[in-house]
Amino acid sequence: MPDWQELVSQHLAGMALDADEKAEVHAELTAHLEESFEALRRRGLLEKEAAHRTLRQIGDWQSLRREVVVAKRRERPMKKRMHQLWVPGFLTLTLSIVFEWVLYKLGFQPRIISWGAPPGTLFYVPWLISLPFLGALGAYISSRAAGSRATVLLASTFPALALAFAFLVMSPIGWIIELVTGSDLDFKAVAGALLVEGIGWLLLPCVAFLLGGLFVQLLLSRRSSPSTVAID
Amino acid sequence: MIASGIKRGTAELAILSVLENDALHGYEIARRIEQQTKGSLRFTPAALYPMLYRLETQKLIRGAWEISANGRRRRCYHLTPAGKKKLVPLRSEWSELFAALRRLAGVSNA
Repeated sequence: MPDWQELVSQHLAGMALDADEKAEVHAELTAHLEESFEALRRRGLLEKEAAHRTLRQIGDWQSLRREVVVAKRRERPMKKRMHQLWVPGFLTLTLSIVFEWVLYKLGFQPRIISWGAPPGTLFYVPWLISLPFLGALGAYISSRAAGSRATVLLASTFPALALAFAFLVMSPIGWIIELVTGSDLDFKAVAGALLVEGIGWLLLPCVAFLLGGLFVQLLLSRRSSPSTVAID
Repeated sequence: MIASGIKRGTAELAILSVLENDALHGYEIARRIEQQTKGSLRFTPAALYPMLYRLETQKLIRGAWEISANGRRRRCYHLTPAGKKKLVPLRSEWSELFAALRRLAGVSNA
C-alpha cells in the first residue's frame, strides 16, 4: 500500500497555513485517500490500479493546495490580492532597485552596446543575472499565498511591468512639458532612444524575472504532479 | 461565472443535505452524495475538502476528530444550527430554480 501520508505531505508541502491547520488538512486527506484505496481494493482492483485511481481523484495538487488555503483563509478579495500580488511584487521591485544600487556602489558598471550608430543599449549584466532569483522569490511568495499561475507570473515580473507603466505614463508628460516650454525636441530621436533603452531596462529584465517565475512554477508543478510519486 | 456559481451552489446544497441527519467524515460524504444521486454527482477530494473548509469557516458545519471502529482518526462534520437554518431557504431557492428551468424547457419544447 502506498504511504499516503508521505504522499500528501509531499504534495501539499508549503501551504500557507498554521502548522496545526496544515497537519489537520494532511491527516484528513490521508484518511480519505486510504479509505478510497481500500474501497477500490475491496472491489477487487489490483494494488497498483487502485492506487492509480485513488491518485487520479486529486488531479491537480497545486490547484487543491490553492483552493484549500483560500477556503481556510476566507480572505476578502482585496486582502487576497495584497498577499498574492502587491506584497511579492513590491518586494521584488524594492530588492531589484536596492541590488542595482549596491552593485553600482561596488563598482560594477553597466556596459553600453551599440549596433552601429548611437544610442546604444545599456546592459547591466551583474544586475540582470540577479533578476531571475528575485523573480523566483516573488513567484514563491505569491504561490505561498495561493496565487493563481497568472498572478504568480505577474508578481515575478512586477518590477519590469511597473517600470514599463511608468515609462508609458511619464514619456508623454515629458513630451508635453518640452512642447510647452518650447524646446526643440526631435521626437524621432527620443522615441528611438527610448526603444533602445527599453531593451536593456525593460525587455531583458522582464525576461530575466519571468525566467525565475517560470522556474518556480515548474518546480511547484513537478512537486505537485502525481507522476513524480512512486506507487509500490 | 454562472457555471462556477451553480457548481458551488449545488455542492453546498448536496453537502448540507447529507449532513442534515448524520455527522459524516469526508469520504463518507462523497460516497453518500454519489450513492444518493445514483452517480450523477461525484465529489473528488479536490472539490470536496475546499468546500467543506469553506462551509466550516462560514460556520454552517463543524468538524471534530473522532476515532473510528478500525482505530483510524477521522474528521466528522455535522450541521450547525446556522447550517440547518441555511438549508431551508437554500432548498426552496434551488427547487424554484429547477421548477423555472423545467417551465422554460417545456416552453422551448412546445
